[in-house]
Amino acid sequence: MNELKIELIKIRRSHIFWILLIPAVMMWIPSALNADVNFRMNDVGISPEHNFFIQGFMGMAWFMIPAALIVCTVLLIQNERTNRGFIKMLSLPVSAARLCLAKFLVMALLMTVQMLFTILFYYAGALLASRLEDYDFVLGLPYVLHGAAMIYLAVIPMSAIFWMLAVLIRTPIFSAGICLASLVPSVLMLNTKLWAFYPMDYPFYMLMTEYGKQAAEVFSSEIKWMPMLPIGGAAAAGCLFIACVRFGKKDIW
Amino acid sequence: MILSLEQKKLRRTGYLPIFLAGGALAALMPLVNTAVRPETFTGLSGNSFPILMDANWGMMAQLTILLIVCGCCLIYHTEYADKGDLKMNTLPIRQFSLYCGKLGVTLLAVILALLIQSAALAFASFRWFPNRCVSLKELVQGMGYELVLLFPTLMLMLFAASLCQNMWISLGIGIILTFAGSMIHGEHSLMTLLPFAAPYQMLHTIPPEKAAFCMTSCAAQALVFGAMETIYLRVRRNFI
Repeated sequence: MNELKIELIKIRRSHIFWILLIPAVMMWIPSALNADVNFRMNDVGISPEHNFFIQGFMGMAWFMIPAALIVCTVLLIQNERTNRGFIKMLSLPVSAARLCLAKFLVMALLMTVQMLFTILFYYAGALLASRLEDYDFVLGLPYVLHGAAMIYLAVIPMSAIFWMLAVLIRTPIFSAGICLASLVPSVLMLNTKLWAFYPMDYPFYMLMTEYGKQAAEVFSSEIKWMPMLPIGGAAAAGCLFIACVRFGKKDIW
Repeated sequence: MILSLEQKKLRRTGYLPIFLAGGALAALMPLVNTAVRPETFTGLSGNSFPILMDANWGMMAQLTILLIVCGCCLIYHTEYADKGDLKMNTLPIRQFSLYCGKLGVTLLAVILALLIQSAALAFASFRWFPNRCVSLKELVQGMGYELVLLFPTLMLMLFAASLCQNMWISLGIGIILTFAGSMIHGEHSLMTLLPFAAPYQMLHTIPPEKAAFCMTSCAAQALVFGAMETIYLRVRRNFI
């Protein structure tokens, strides 16, 4: 707990909150202004308010949330690499693995903050759209929270992979570059049979099943937990283990 | 001289490998996409180049933009990491030439990445569309147009990277802009001329006069971003 507190103090004044906040605003305000497009989706059978919610979260789940995670890994690692912070940190009588896990928890916390921003601005956008179009776009909080929570859980294996890469690869831009490049083909991978072996498409998959529940012909409405859950769990646990073992090893020599 | 100096600084930072790898990854898109389901594309009528571009350029453009974001962050990170920028300021060169040198190096790297992608497109066209293979002129025009459209994005990103000493902020800005650009590109409006959104356009989908207009707007944007960097350097001089 103490480590977590210290890590949070370290990222004060890092401006990371702005980087998490701006995409949420940018996502929802334009989609509220263009809310009339949601009325043209009747052919797939989805209601305008569900379409508004899912289309908005799609941009977040596919690119912005994973990309913000990558920025967080760069922040957490670069913070230590400047001014030889790693040496100072690892000379403390605390196990390196605990420090590594504390940093990963900070990442999870930042992701929670981004999710909360997204939900908050979803409601702001939905209220604005309801005003503009004279139609109730606001969905119930339990439904929105459930959707957001599924995406959040689906992001965890991916974040463990990103964190491991950030720890293993000393050149920050390499790790960030590899992670960013891995996001681009995620929609393509989702359409192949091997989707469960590619954790970068899990959040988008969760949202697509939600889409499938509203519009049956677009996507399957059942979440296929079977190959995904063990693979995702193993990837998360394995990557975190490697990250903990290798944490700081490349930075002190 | 400034170009060779900048290029020397980038040794051992992985700059060239990242552009080679990124270019190769983007080049894989048309190859893999066509190899897995050739009949989807070979069944379409028309020239091979528009078919391949329609199917793959969205992802290729996004990868190239992300490559530019990473490249710009890295090239300024080498200055800011160990206070290299202060050392550079003591040299008898104009501060703006530092920006120009970095712009030149990144532009060359982007051209390299686009060349790899062009080669892949040409190969895909040759391999799967033997009767309607892409001509060299069409390929050069199509990819040259993308290079022009990518240029303002490159200048803006390099400007953003020169603003921020902390790499995560410039990376964050780049990613947010990439996200914004990817949201805009579907719409047909003047917004599609903006950096980060413009590179998703393709030459074969728009009439020639609009293409000329887009290129002129890119040149104007490049001038604006150059001016912004000059103004920023002048203002910053008063504070350090």
